[in-house]
Amino acid sequence: MAGEVVEKKDTDKDASEGKKKLSSWLNKSMKVKMTDGRTLIGVFLCTDRERNVILGGCEEYLKPLEGNEKEEPRILGLAMIPGHHIVSISIDKSQLQDSEFQ
Amino acid sequence: MEGTMQTQPPSDPGGQGSDGRVDSKSRYDWKDITEEFMSSASALQMGELLHDTNFGLFEAMSAIEMMDPKMDAGMMCNQIQRKVLTFDSALESGAIKIKDLSIPELIGIMDTSLACLVTWLEGHSLAQTVFTNLFLHNPYMIDDKCLKAFSILMLKLVDHIRDRVNRAGVFEEEDFQSLTYGFKMAADVTDARATGMMKEVEDDLNRIIKMTRSKVGEERDAQTEQEHEITNALFSRVKFFRLFLMGLLSFSKEKCEGIPQAQKLICQLLELLPIIRDTICMGIQPDNKEVGKNDYPTIMGFEPLVNQRLLPPTFPRYTVIRSREEALGHIEGLLYRLQIVTTVPELTTFHIIMEAFQEFSKSSPCVLSRSILQLTLLPVNKRVFGVHTMVDFLKDTIRNFIAPPVLSQKSALYNNSQAKQYVDAWFVQVVRPFTALVQITGHNRARQRDKWAHILEDLSALQEEADKVDACLHQMLTKMEPNRQHIACLGNWVLYHTLQAMISYLLAGFELELYATYEYHYVYWYLYEMLYSWLINTLHRADNFLLENETMADSQQKGRSNKKNKKKKRIKTLNKEITLAQAGQQMFGGYYKAVMGFRLDGKMQMPEFQFDCEEVRYSHRFQPFTNVSTPPYIPYVQYKEMSDLNRYEPDATAVSLYGAACKCFHQAKSLLESFHNPSEEVQAMIKVAKVNFVVMKILMGGHKKDSQEPPVFDFTSHPVYPTIKMV
Repeated sequence: MAGEVVEKKDTDKDASEGKKKLSSWLNKSMKVKMTDGRTLIGVFLCTDRERNVILGGCEEYLKPLEGNEKEEPRILGLAMIPGHHIVSISIDKSQLQDSEFQ
Repeated sequence: MEGTMQTQPPSDPGGQGSDGRVDSKSRYDWKDITEEFMSSASALQMGELLHDTNFGLFEAMSAIEMMDPKMDAGMMCNQIQRKVLTFDSALESGAIKIKDLSIPELIGIMDTSLACLVTWLEGHSLAQTVFTNLFLHNPYMIDDKCLKAFSILMLKLVDHIRDRVNRAGVFEEEDFQSLTYGFKMAADVTDARATGMMKEVEDDLNRIIKMTRSKVGEERDAQTEQEHEITNALFSRVKFFRLFLMGLLSFSKEKCEGIPQAQKLICQLLELLPIIRDTICMGIQPDNKEVGKNDYPTIMGFEPLVNQRLLPPTFPRYTVIRSREEALGHIEGLLYRLQIVTTVPELTTFHIIMEAFQEFSKSSPCVLSRSILQLTLLPVNKRVFGVHTMVDFLKDTIRNFIAPPVLSQKSALYNNSQAKQYVDAWFVQVVRPFTALVQITGHNRARQRDKWAHILEDLSALQEEADKVDACLHQMLTKMEPNRQHIACLGNWVLYHTLQAMISYLLAGFELELYATYEYHYVYWYLYEMLYSWLINTLHRADNFLLENETMADSQQKGRSNKKNKKKKRIKTLNKEITLAQAGQQMFGGYYKAVMGFRLDGKMQMPEFQFDCEEVRYSHRFQPFTNVSTPPYIPYVQYKEMSDLNRYEPDATAVSLYGAACKCFHQAKSLLESFHNPSEEVQAMIKVAKVNFVVMKILMGGHKKDSQEPPVFDFTSHPVYPTIKMV
């Protein structure tokens, strides 16, 4: 029982740290690459423990960009990307005002 | 902090394609946070959502889920192996030709285009049907004269159809998709130019046909003969598409002036159809490859997935393009329906029009013919056939129905300015609900039921107004002509339409198979005891007004062969309507009594569901009627009281009820047989009445007396009046 309490304390600390980080990304532009190769760009709105991500005002880009072909995005709007389909996540640095990550 | 300062995802092959990407995404300065994100997120509690205050679970619910094949239309593009070509890329790679197309290629393209058009008309999106044809994306680039003219004409055709359907406004999302996705519809080419270009192609082809024609005393070789035939096949198509557009255009000429031309064109089109049907095989055909859910083999110039990325972020809809034969079948049906539309301007009163429109609707016509029908009656200027105002037209209709003194020139009220004012003010309110009545008949069958329910409120309000006007007019009239009356005159006319709407609402329930057999008894009762008996009274009342009006007119011509007048046949009567209503009442009376007999006989069991309550079902079925003040709504308790068998026949037995039903069906049959030229509808009713009469008769004789088998109500002969079968 005691051990659990200690552990909980630990995770609490991690959690608050992690939450802070996640919160600082909220409402910033985010780029998510999916397992099928598509890339989505939208505003980061919501996530949970399963790393499901909800992006607002989402634009979809197909991966294969051959030659100099410019790709028109498809407007998706509000989209949820299941955590297990996410390959990588990037955040728009220019929107992060805090120097914390730069 | 790994992967900082990465502007590209790590998996991207360096350099290649970065130009385009930088352009479109240069406003971002990406930083990879995958690891950080993952670890931070995993520290969240189970079920905990991290979000801003203005974003909650509710908003989250409406997000589309990526990688879910039911929601994510974009998945399709990645799951197919081949490359999807646009017009430009197809041209570049040589996948499509824009000059020197062979005749089989042209025939194939035309037939496939027609199949796409028909699929669109059946409710699919333009992007997944007509615009899978790459040639339509940029017809001006095409060098081939025939293909160019055809492509432009096709665009004009789509544009015109879209305009008609949108204007008529009798479609719902399941009927028609009007979204154009920003495609250009050749707006800079006039209709005349488009058809003119086709005519030129036609003339060129005609020359070849003449050259290759068999001449007297000359042997054609096989090649010439074949050329002749195949050119003729193409010629017929070019001509068909040109005349098809012209035909549709002639329907939208002002004041129905194009109707005679439309009639002629439809005949010509119907003559061309068999030639086209017989030569479908001459066009190029798609390879026999596997058909996927959204991808299917096509011929040159067609790319099913080209517009996949234009589709809105809703769940994906899979479009199966009709076969070329099916498409021709659809067009043939459309042409026959349009032929019926050309007869509409001959109809003279609102009532006849409503009857004709409802009859038209019974065959579940396509959205285009429904729209053209509506626009022929009420074009953009909202005048009947583009000529008469709706008010004048309705006044005429009312004169023929009930001959109100205020609208009769012979009456003193006619020229009374105050009376005129009342009536005109009332007519202003009449136009909207009565236009809506016509429109209801233009909607698809399933939607009509809802709309009948909705219109009842408007009709009820209008009726109250009419009663007030009638009361005022009556007061004025009794002062001028004491022996005449105006009570419930205009009101009676509105009541007639209210009852018709209520009946249509209930009958639609049969057609849409909404009622369970254990509900039949109250539906039949309501029709038999309430609606049809009100309808008959309403018609009798109107008929009396007509008679009174005629005798008034006759008495004013006194002195001139008075005796002859007495024997004179009445000019206007509602005999036909009355007989039909009586027949309907007898039919439903028959069904009602039969059903009650079955219940007493133990042949029809009531369900015993847990928490079941008949009153709830009853109230639900007749809910729209609560908005109508006349006829008053009969609540369940009152229905139970009124329909209590013990009240009328204390010792009613199944046999006596079968006997009563038998009488009803017999009466219905005799009433219907009094028509001289029975319509198909009446003939079908007679047939059903006859069968039911016999079934009731043998049941009376004790047939299947001990059987508990429920009877079968068979709607194959008529969608509303079933034949009763004992199994």
